[in-house]
Amino acid sequence: MSDTLLTVRVGDVMTPLSRRVTQDQINAYAEASGDHNPIHVNEEFARMVGLPGTIAHGMLDLGILTDAVARWAGGSDRVAAIGCRFSKPLLPGDTITCTGTVVEVDEEAGIAVLSLEAVSDRGDRVLTNGRAEIRLGPPRS
Amino acid sequence: MPDPSHAGRVYRAPGLVVEAERARAFAEAIAGDDAVAEPEAVPPTFAAVYCLFPTLGQLFGDPEVGLDLAGLIHGEQRFSFHEPVRPGDVIDSQARIASVQEKRGMTFIDVELGAARADGRTVCSGRALLIMRGAAG
Repeated sequence: MSDTLLTVRVGDVMTPLSRRVTQDQINAYAEASGDHNPIHVNEEFARMVGLPGTIAHGMLDLGILTDAVARWAGGSDRVAAIGCRFSKPLLPGDTITCTGTVVEVDEEAGIAVLSLEAVSDRGDRVLTNGRAEIRLGPPRS
Repeated sequence: MPDPSHAGRVYRAPGLVVEAERARAFAEAIAGDDAVAEPEAVPPTFAAVYCLFPTLGQLFGDPEVGLDLAGLIHGEQRFSFHEPVRPGDVIDSQARIASVQEKRGMTFIDVELGAARADGRTVCSGRALLIMRGAAG
């Protein structure tokens, strides 16, 4: 990551990130994360428990949101905190779009706060109440 | 059924080694068709692998709490990252049930998460909110 100081102001908009999430990608996330809950990978099971079909892991959605913040901020080490509410499921084939705005800059603490959300192309607000803290200073080793 | 008496229960997952290959596969799964931005880095949400899933997995299997996985929702997740995690780090994680509350016929289980490197330094802390749907009690 860059070792320069980030300059951001309240009202700055994060570069949005859109990503189409396929069932293959959900399967890859299940494999890599070790979360093999069948609602993510087994269509029949997902319908049996009342879902429209398989759904992406909430943590995959949050992973994409974190990726959006890290790319914009100039590296994942700049992400000091991140979180959100998982409001609606993301379905395979959906495109998720992550957006954010700087809502607070604390230069003394070297931290900026972003308000975040993610929507799907079917109009669902997938991630709400998103919030991240990013480090403005050069990374600690 | 989970109830307020389960607050304070702790689940530990010690000695998880952060493997470069697994971190890379995890980053690729998140990137999908995009190129991974930082091929050598451990993605922040890899905390799911070294902290969240190994500890919550034990909570899910705790017969005394008796969670019904079919009605369980991961409602919210927050992480703070205190120190960078690197391949080769050995991490001890734990989850503690902070509270169990019933509201509007649903059960809200608030879980505190923590993860420390072998040298004792905290790398990550967080909160998971689990929600059980359906008529409680």
